[in-house]
Amino acid sequence: MPDTILVIAEQREGKLNRASLETIAAGQAIAAATGWALEAAVVGASVGSFANELAAKKLAKVYSVESAKLEPYTPDAFAAGLKQFIEAKQPKLVLMPHTYQVRDFVPKLATAMGSTVISDCIGFKHEGGKLLFTRQMFQGKLAADVSFTGNSPWFATFQNGAFRGDKAEDGASAAPVETVKVEIADGVVRNRPQEVFKEAKQAVDLTQAEIIVSVGRGIKEQKNIEIAKQLADALGGELAASRPICDSGWLPMDRQIGSSGQTVAPKLYLALGISGAIQHIVGMKGARGIVAINKDSEAPIFEIADFAVVGNLFDIVPPLIEEVKKAKAGN
Amino acid sequence: MATTAIPTTKISGGSFLLDDRRPEEVFTPEDFSEQHQLIGQTAEEFAVNEILPNVEKIEHKDFSVTRDLLKKAGELGLSGVEIPEAYGGLEMDKVTAAVIADHIAKYAGFATTWGGHTGIGTLPIVYFGTEGQKKKYLPRLAAGEIVGAYALSEASSGSDAMNCRTKATLSSDGKYYILNGEKMWITNAGFADLFTVFAKIDGEKFSAFLVEKGFPGISIGAEEHKMGIRGSSTCPVILNDCKVPVENLLGEIGKGHVIAFNILNVGRFKLGAMCVGGARVAIEHSIAYAKQRKAFNKVIADFGLVREKIANMAVGIYTGESLVYRTVGMMDAALNEVDKSSPDAAKETRKAIEEYAVECSIIKVWGSEMIDYVADEMVQIYAGYGFVEEYPAERTYRDARINRIFEGTNEINRLIITGFLLKRAMSGQLPLMPAIKKLMDEVLSGPSSDELDGPLAEESKLVGQAKKLGLFAAGAATQKYMQAIQDQQEIMGAIADMTIETYAMESVVLRTQKIIQAKGENAAALPLAMTRVYLSQAMGKIEAAAKKVIAAVADGDMLRTQLAILRRLAKYEPFNVIELRQQIAQKMIERGKYGIA
Amino acid sequence: MKILVCMKQVPQKDAPLKLNETATWIREDVSYEVNEPDAYALEEALRQKEKHGGEVVVITSGPARAQQVLREALAKGADRAIHLEDNAFVGLDAFNTARAFAAAIKDEQFDLIFTGLQSDDYGYAQVGVILAELLGWPHATIIMQIEKTDAGIKVKRELEAGFFQFVDMPLPAVLTIQSGINKLRYATLIGIKNAKNKPLRKVALADVQSAIGNNLQMIEKLYIPQKTKNTEFIEGPPAEVAKKLVEKLRNELRVL
Repeated sequence: MPDTILVIAEQREGKLNRASLETIAAGQAIAAATGWALEAAVVGASVGSFANELAAKKLAKVYSVESAKLEPYTPDAFAAGLKQFIEAKQPKLVLMPHTYQVRDFVPKLATAMGSTVISDCIGFKHEGGKLLFTRQMFQGKLAADVSFTGNSPWFATFQNGAFRGDKAEDGASAAPVETVKVEIADGVVRNRPQEVFKEAKQAVDLTQAEIIVSVGRGIKEQKNIEIAKQLADALGGELAASRPICDSGWLPMDRQIGSSGQTVAPKLYLALGISGAIQHIVGMKGARGIVAINKDSEAPIFEIADFAVVGNLFDIVPPLIEEVKKAKAGN
Repeated sequence: MATTAIPTTKISGGSFLLDDRRPEEVFTPEDFSEQHQLIGQTAEEFAVNEILPNVEKIEHKDFSVTRDLLKKAGELGLSGVEIPEAYGGLEMDKVTAAVIADHIAKYAGFATTWGGHTGIGTLPIVYFGTEGQKKKYLPRLAAGEIVGAYALSEASSGSDAMNCRTKATLSSDGKYYILNGEKMWITNAGFADLFTVFAKIDGEKFSAFLVEKGFPGISIGAEEHKMGIRGSSTCPVILNDCKVPVENLLGEIGKGHVIAFNILNVGRFKLGAMCVGGARVAIEHSIAYAKQRKAFNKVIADFGLVREKIANMAVGIYTGESLVYRTVGMMDAALNEVDKSSPDAAKETRKAIEEYAVECSIIKVWGSEMIDYVADEMVQIYAGYGFVEEYPAERTYRDARINRIFEGTNEINRLIITGFLLKRAMSGQLPLMPAIKKLMDEVLSGPSSDELDGPLAEESKLVGQAKKLGLFAAGAATQKYMQAIQDQQEIMGAIADMTIETYAMESVVLRTQKIIQAKGENAAALPLAMTRVYLSQAMGKIEAAAKKVIAAVADGDMLRTQLAILRRLAKYEPFNVIELRQQIAQKMIERGKYGIA
Repeated sequence: MKILVCMKQVPQKDAPLKLNETATWIREDVSYEVNEPDAYALEEALRQKEKHGGEVVVITSGPARAQQVLREALAKGADRAIHLEDNAFVGLDAFNTARAFAAAIKDEQFDLIFTGLQSDDYGYAQVGVILAELLGWPHATIIMQIEKTDAGIKVKRELEAGFFQFVDMPLPAVLTIQSGINKLRYATLIGIKNAKNKPLRKVALADVQSAIGNNLQMIEKLYIPQKTKNTEFIEGPPAEVAKKLVEKLRNELRVL
């Protein structure tokens, strides 16, 4: 029997999330490189519908791993339930998206199984029979190829956007679906989570915006946000920011882009004074066009920008606003 | 508190001219304790997080912000290191005081305010106050609850403070002194609560008084419109029948000059540290600008003439650090010998610091000229953008200029340096005259070949030559003028220049030797390069100054003989400073700021 | 409450990094600082202690230089420190680091253990969660608020996309703390002065060797990431740059 790769998909609010499909795509790519089989699982109280949805993808098998105790999510229940399931199925490699939920339980699960997680990967390599996972280190300044040195099951999680979800192949026919009931004893679950909620009263949905002007530390002072606002208005776009700006209270939290904020993919993402820490990049690298203005010629944001201006944003933005207005008036 | 143990024993002030020191005997930034580093970090974070975001407000004289910052600095303990614990201070070593001054000085406007408050605004009470005065004022000054100022200068008396016109008269009931007069250029005056005011009792006995803002008869004039440090307050203080309680007389009647001269001496080293701190900010801006500004399709940071400037800035900072911390290290070693519990502790402390009056004056002169140079080259790197207000170079340039003027002009300090050394030489405290005689005998007997080995042997030899050049010129000048040399300001100045450069050369060489001893020559490539560049600059200056003195005191055959000696003493194989500066600049540009690794 | 804060020393954010000869780690001749999220974890622990009393203990692993992190924490108000001192600790994976910590505190009775949510060097975001599993304690990650309750604590977790969740949990527990949960304090000079006299326990590699094993993962190669995008740099005086940008927005990105 060949080795198996198992993808654990994540569902929330009645949907499989985008990152899950990205992880399926990652799994398919690794399966193609290694010749290993690929299976997937969804975890929850009653998740058969998600399993059926996944079954359309090119997978050898799909499981719905179920227990009433898996709803709502707790790290105790997920670790216990998945440990049982994985011990039974013995996959070689277990893949998950690097979501806030996964990072909450997967180190516990791996530890409970005497194994380890290579977390937050952005790719993989299969060289000379050896599987390497690429991950960013030192805030994205360096990358590392990391290998497993212990026994399987091996765990790896993939960063949002590391693979393209829309590239996840459909199967020729629906994959078989099997429901596996796991037993989670009373007393295993110690945390009592309450309802998930959103803090911002008038949530701005930046995911729908076609144009986003985003500000970072380079804006220096709260009052300077105004020129970014003027540029956003001139372009007919939304104003957004990196985490430090929202932490300082200069813009509300619901305008934050990045791993703890919103993930966006507008037609134009114009980054003003944003250096481009990974936590920010994961939230906007899907943008179709990225323009970055930054004083530091070595800012990581330039790595992913289509158009880059090395310079003082306070010099460039005012004439830019004028030019945009002129261009719009001419339309 | 014996936190600094280098040097382990007290070294005499001015002795650097005669004695050779070993690296183990000097304190360097590499010897900072964990505590020094943490305190530096607190000062640095305070400057970056609290001061810098407020620069614009402070620059426009919103002094409520300044007062808040002084309060915060006080709460953190940054303003109390030179105040005894018994009076709400932290009573820490002078290295700590220098570390704080160095790191807090990221914006000259506030640095001036803070320096004025913690230095001349507070120290007169620390060193000359009565128990009652200390108890009453020091805890609140340390906490930043009240702000101090120092009112010595007047419209027609600055460096010649004794020429003071402000008068004090004892009231008929003997309870008050009535002060009348006008003080000028008073730092912090616009918002200070407590002024150390100098006045002559009955127009004769020069004395100091602690004058609270609330006392009747004191008023503050309008803010001066200054070239720089606009974020600090500078106003006249007007005393119009100002009633000062007799218990607020500071020190003894008629002994005001002791306070006036000493307070500047005991605080001067911090000005040097602040100049170093300011230069570190300037180089960071300069590098950032040079890395993004393009000309002829290249960033200007790639051009040799720009790199030369960046390298020189770095050399200035490295040398400045070496000078400042070596000196405060010596002070701390001397202060360790002071019994803090003795009733004379304040006086002994003051004396221990004054021992290094020459070194402190050197730091002040050298540091202020270094930051002025750095600011000037910063403007040059920014070019047109350096000349407009929107960029930091313009303000840096204006702000730097005052350092050569206040805390004793550099001219006064040069006279202090040579005067102090000559005084010590005459009294035999510093065996300068025998050293000069020995040197004269030596040079007349022909070239010597003192071979040194070990790391930086060549560089150490250069320091030795620099000392000889200084002694040689000083010897020639004293032979001609004897005591009357005091009146030859240009000669005194030239000797001071040689003394300053010699101390700087030796400090930088000793520091680099110490780094090499600790980390090996490979890890010390950058310090070594900076040392060699500095030595090259300094030797040029020393030779020129020596020549100037010799040409003034000798002529004919005598002049030719002496010039021959001078050339021999000044001879060395030049370093490839173009290559060295390229290496230095490369490291700084890579890092984006000053550093020695 | 007795709180342990796990802290790490990492290269300064703007430090230029160079690879070592084998390209498996960076050259260590850089400047270091406290991992930023750990500073928030410490601050939160100090605030909890100020509210509820107790003790704050800080722990780190690494060579002698890492002690600076502990001194800074002591200066800010931590009561004592534990230093697992050896260069070898730098190369441990998250599992082994957690095992070493667990061994070093086996005789202690903590109510809470805090870690920062992740480190700025490795960025694993794992040590806290693994430590909880090793100790058999519950945990919660990316915490933005902590309240003591009768039964234990109530914490606010940050989820993605602006969502949050309150979770009630018993003690003892492990929490990983998000940056920005509070405002950091400065180390005051009096704090720095007093820190010298606070206890700092050193733990040698040999003391915890039996608790750790081989790393379960290994960095085979460290390198500077390759650029994937073709970035066009626009240069010139501001007015010209503005003109060129608008042209790009119109003709290439087609958003005008």
